[in-house]
Parts: sequence; structure tokens; C-alpha cells
Amino acid sequence: MTQDEDMERVDRHALALTIWLAAGVVASTLYHYGVRAGGWPFIVAAFAVIAAAFAGHVIVNVVFRSEFSVRERALGLVCYAVLLIIFGLATLVSSDFANRAFLPTSAGLVALLAVLVFSMVVKSGVRSSFEAFDIIRSFSAHDAWANGGDRAKGGARE
Amino acid sequence: MTTLALAAFAFLFTVSIYLAVLSGRRLRPEDFLDAGDGLPAWALMFAGAGVLIGGLGLQDHLLLTAMYGLQYSHVALGLALSALCGSMAHKRLWIAARAMRTSSPIEIVSAYYDSVTIRIALIAVALIFALPFAGHMLALAGDLVAMATDGAIGHGQAVFTLALSLFLVSALGGWRGAVLVVAAQSFLLLALLLFTPLFMAGADERLAVLASGPSALKGVLGDQIPGVMQYSAGIGKDVAAAGVWTTLTIVAAGGSLIGVVLSPAFGFLTTTTRLRAGLAFQQVWMIAGLTTGALLIASPIIAAEIAAADPSGMAAGAPSVAGLAGRLAGLDSLAALAFLLMLFAAMQIVVVFFVSAAGVMIAGDVVGRYLVPELDGDGRRLAARIALAVLYAAVALVAAYAPLSAAIVGSVALSLSAQLLPAFIGLCWAPWISRQAVVTGLIFGTMLVLFTEPPGLVAFEGLFLDLPWGRWPLTIHSAAWGLTFNVAACLLTALFTRLGPERARREVLHGVFRRVSPATGRASRLRTAKWSLTLIWTFFALGPGAILGNAFFSKPMFTDNEASLGVPSLWVWQIVFWFAGVLLTWWLAYRSRMAVVEEAAIPAIDLAPPHDLLGRRRAPEWLALMIARVSSR
Repeated sequence: MTQDEDMERVDRHALALTIWLAAGVVASTLYHYGVRAGGWPFIVAAFAVIAAAFAGHVIVNVVFRSEFSVRERALGLVCYAVLLIIFGLATLVSSDFANRAFLPTSAGLVALLAVLVFSMVVKSGVRSSFEAFDIIRSFSAHDAWANGGDRAKGGARE
Repeated sequence: MTTLALAAFAFLFTVSIYLAVLSGRRLRPEDFLDAGDGLPAWALMFAGAGVLIGGLGLQDHLLLTAMYGLQYSHVALGLALSALCGSMAHKRLWIAARAMRTSSPIEIVSAYYDSVTIRIALIAVALIFALPFAGHMLALAGDLVAMATDGAIGHGQAVFTLALSLFLVSALGGWRGAVLVVAAQSFLLLALLLFTPLFMAGADERLAVLASGPSALKGVLGDQIPGVMQYSAGIGKDVAAAGVWTTLTIVAAGGSLIGVVLSPAFGFLTTTTRLRAGLAFQQVWMIAGLTTGALLIASPIIAAEIAAADPSGMAAGAPSVAGLAGRLAGLDSLAALAFLLMLFAAMQIVVVFFVSAAGVMIAGDVVGRYLVPELDGDGRRLAARIALAVLYAAVALVAAYAPLSAAIVGSVALSLSAQLLPAFIGLCWAPWISRQAVVTGLIFGTMLVLFTEPPGLVAFEGLFLDLPWGRWPLTIHSAAWGLTFNVAACLLTALFTRLGPERARREVLHGVFRRVSPATGRASRLRTAKWSLTLIWTFFALGPGAILGNAFFSKPMFTDNEASLGVPSLWVWQIVFWFAGVLLTWWLAYRSRMAVVEEAAIPAIDLAPPHDLLGRRRAPEWLALMIARVSSR
């Protein structure tokens, strides 16, 4: 990788971080106020900000001719999973939270998932998007590759 | 709130350090000073907008708007004027940088005029921004941290901790890391500037600005401009009736914002950017569009809330942001934190940007060029880090122990920097402006600025005798006093020196401009329209014509009826001329291609002073003598 390409990767990463930094502050404030006193419009607005930041990240990818890196995907999944767990625990533990925020928060989480799927479908088409989650085929392909590799090794031995 | 505030500030610091390290460890040592002239365009767009808001002084801007209402917030339209100024100067500055194979505006301008005096003036302006101006902002940031932590962290502790953390950002990331951090915080600042009034509108039952109109001190017109000018001796000697922000003060204070755009640091940001498309976008959409609009619309809303939350401060004539922060904390602690982060980011941006730029420019222009020219990349990086350490230590000391002095001396930074306008016009457009003309104008302009601002007035009155005028006599801002005499002296001197022997040197650079960016027949025909439309817009948006805005939309002409808009007529006038300003900037930047850099090869030229026999640049005689005196002891 050349110095320029390396720097371009840093630029892209810094821009993505810039977007998420601002969106994170705004969304957390909106969500916090929404759960405490503001009600569903603030909670929905918080999820809208996160969706907008995701759209911004996709635009950054298009401008820099890149894709989400493995680390970004992993971080996104972990954050989403942590959010789900906290949401589930809060719903179980606090009836007040469940009454105020269950519906808008669950709608927001589903909407985020929908935005993700939509972006994948727009970028790669339905078939490729499905194949990204087709674990059985992925394992099969891996087994085939591994067996083929063993045969090749065996053949060489013979 | 204390723990939360500390966590938020620590988080912002962690993100800044992460960005700086990420960028810095991939830099070659020789690119530490100028980012290899490869800053991304998005960083220029965001950082430019953030630096302008920071240069305006967001907290001071909000408090002054709380005290003077719309008559003061009108000054924000000056950001559109600075976008026009940037369109005029920065494209050609960038071309000059590539042609002269240097990134430093100090080197470009002083080599073009072949003047050590101009070099010293530019270094002085860079240092005024880096020391008292940034020191004032650091002191305000220290106050803010002390307030947010309920005094758990004192002013001095906060100042030194902030200075150390910002030094780490600059020293680890170099110029590139510093700009990326400034860009990231600028985006956060813009987002929070838009978010804060929207949140208040959603969370409060009714905004104070809609319920009781723009805030203002007792006896001050909150929703009108108090005249074209007033025959006042100036602040400190006289009290202007109904407020000091007359149209002449507004146009001059708005005009002084071009000082940020013309400052060496801002020029350095432009010249070190990989520029092709980013400049026009920055000028039109980020500065004239988003930044100006956000300030024009958001400031009166936030300011009215500040006034409503701090009635005792308003009665005493000195409101504070603590009241609003407390009220927001009552609504939601994170909302209060977002408001404080917005102010904090604006202050941090100024400190990181101006100190980093001054540090690397001094290391490159003074140390690397004259004092130790044989330094390699590692040596230059070390020199820059030492310069940064010295500057940050000085800023911290000034902010901790002399915040008032920093505020007084820092108040002239914008006005002094604006005095560089004739030098930039000469560099970019008018080869007939000679070195003598620029230097004469600078001397007159600087004197006038100093004697219409506190540093000169306090010093002169303390040492000699009382002057009959105070700050901004006749309600005319110091930048306008300086520029009027500066331009007059410059033109008069240029009349006699325009055909001097140095003109051929200057024409070399203008030959490059003509070759790289040739004027089409259409562009030549529109030259008059460009200047006249800009002047007409300035006259009505900021100048004496703005007085019409006081009642233009509430009491329409040719009818006795009054229109009920729900908001003051002046606010509508500001928004209308903001739109017109964006349109004008777009026309100049894009259609007239004043900020669009053509895809053409830029020939190399050398306007620097002659080299010695070994090919090294020769240091100015006075500098060589000074070094000889010191080194021979």
C-alpha cells in the first residue's frame, strides 16, 4: 500500500469518525430526554439521527470508493447487540421504561435493521445481500475448499 | 453533572488524541510541518467553518446577542463577506503556493513583495492569533470547565490540563493531525449549533425569542439597528444611545471577520490542502451558507434563552451562560452537556488551530529557512515540536495568570489581520500595488487600529495623557478605521511606485495566474458586475442600507398598514440578505470560477531572495547579524 493510499484510508476513517461523533452526541441527548420526559418523538428523532449518520457513512464510502471495513462491521454489530441487551434488560427491570419507551425504541431498532438491509440491497442486489448471510453455503464452500486442499496435498504425497 | 462533564471532556480528548496519533504515525518526518500538502478537502470545508465560528468567539457572540439583540447578531452576516474575501484570495494563494513550491503564506507574501518588514508583520499577526487570542479562548475554556464541574477543577488546573492535552494533539499529529481534530470538532460544533435551538424548541413550551422578542439590556433596541452612525466619542468615553451597533459598526465588525480568512493560519490551511473542488464548496455552502445561516437563526434563539435564564445577570449588564446551562440541566443533563460541549469545541478549535499553525510555520519559516537551514526531516519535526511546546506553555501561562491582558491584546487580532487586505489584493489581483505601498498602508492601518482599541488607548493614556476618544469613536469599528487609512495610504503610495523596478518580479507570479487560470472574454465583461454587486450587497446587507431592515417588512412602504410577521423585520432582512449573499458567493465562486481551481500544470517560479554560492537561501542581514552576535559570545 502506498503512502497516499494509506493516508486516504486515514482520511476516510477520520471523516466517518467525525460523523459518528456528532451523531452520537445528538442521538444520545435526544434518546435520554425522550426516555425521561420528552416521549416518543424524541426517541424516534434519536434513531433518525443514527440512520442519518449511517447514510452519511455510506456516502463517505461511495466518495472514497470503499466499503465498510471488517472492524467497522464488527463494531456496528457489537454496538447493536449491546443496545439490544440493554434494551431487553431495561424493559424487564423497569416497568416505567417499558411503558414509556418500549414501542418507539423497538420500532427504532427495527428501523435501523431495515435501513441496513435496504442499503445492502441497493448496493449489492437481493441475491448478494442474502448470500452475505447464507452461513450454510459459506460453511459448505469452506469444507469444499478444505477437502480439495487435502486431496491436493494427498495427491502430491502419492 | 460534574462526573458527566468530566467524562464528556475526557471522551472528546480521547477522540482527539486518537485522530492525532492515527494521522501522525503514518506521516513522514518531512511532512510533519505541512501535511505533505495533502490535507483532504473535507477537512478544509469543516475546519474553515469551525475556525470562523471560533474566531468570531461563539460564547462572546451569544452573550453580546443576549445584551444587544438583533443589532449585534447582524454581525454574523460578515461571515458571508469573509466567504467572498476567501473566494477572492485563496484560489490564487493556492496557485502561488504550488508555483513557488512552498506552503507558507508568510513566505509567499513576503517573497512576492521581497520584504522583511512584511514577513515580520505576518509573523506578528500569526503570533497575536496564537498567543493572546488563543490565550483568551483557553481562559474562557478554563472558566467553562470550572463551571461545568462546579469548581471541582479550578480555572488554573483546567487551563494547564487543556493546554497539555492540546499540545499532545499538535505534537503527535503534526499539522495534519491538528487539522483533522479541528475538522472533527467543527462538525460537532455545527451539529450542536443547529441542534441546541431545535431541542429548546421541542422541549420548552415556547421559545423566549417568540414569546417576548429578542433579548436586550435595558435601554437597548433589541430588534432594530440604532442608526447609521452616532456621534459618540467611543466606548469608555461616551454611551451610545440605544446601543453601539450602528450600521457602520456592523459593517466594520463584520468586515473585521475577513481577518480570520486573511490570517496566515487560515491561508496555511488552504495552501496545504489537496485542492481542486473543496475550496468553492467551503466558501459557498459551508461558510456563506451553513455557518452564516446557523449563526443568524440560532444565535437570537439561544441568546434569548440565556437572557431568560439569567435575569439578574441581565439586570447587572453581564449575563452568563451558567444560567442556561443550569436550566438545561434541569430539563436533561445531557442537553446541558451538549450546550457546554458546543461552546467548549468552539474554544478548543481556536487554540489548536492557531497555535499549531504558528508553531509549524515558525519552525518552517524561521528555524528551517534561516536559523538552521541544513535540518533534515527529523530535525524539522523536532524544531516544530519545540516551537509548539514553547507556544503552548506561553498560551497556558497567559490564560492562567493574565486572562484580562489576553482579552485586551487579543481584541486587536481580527482588526490587525484585516489590515493585510491590500497585501493580498496586490498578490492576487493587482501587480501595481508595490512593497512600499503595502508597508505604508500597514503602518497607517496598524496605528489606527491600535489607537481605536484598548491596547493602544490604555498604554497611551497610562504613559502620557488622556485621549479625547475611546474605543470605536463615531461607533466605527477599529478595523474600518484602520482599513480606511490603510487603503488610502496604499493607493497614494502606489500612484508613485507602481512602475518601479520590482514590478517585473511581481509580474512573474501574475503571469502564472494568467497561464493557469486565463480570464475568458465573458469573465472580463463581468468584472464590473462582480465588484459592483459585491459592494451593493455589502451596502444593503451590512452597511448603511441595512437601516431599512428596521421596518421594511413590518411597515411596508406605500401603505399605512402594518404587517404582522411574528418576528422582527430586521431578522427577516438578515435572512433575506443571507440568501442573497449565498447566491452572490455561489456566482463568484462557481460561475465566475474565482474559487474553482483549473486542472492545469502549474509552472515553478522562484521569487525568494537570491541564494548563496552553495545554493542555500541567504538569511536577511539583520537576522544573520543577530545570530552572529548571539553565537559569538
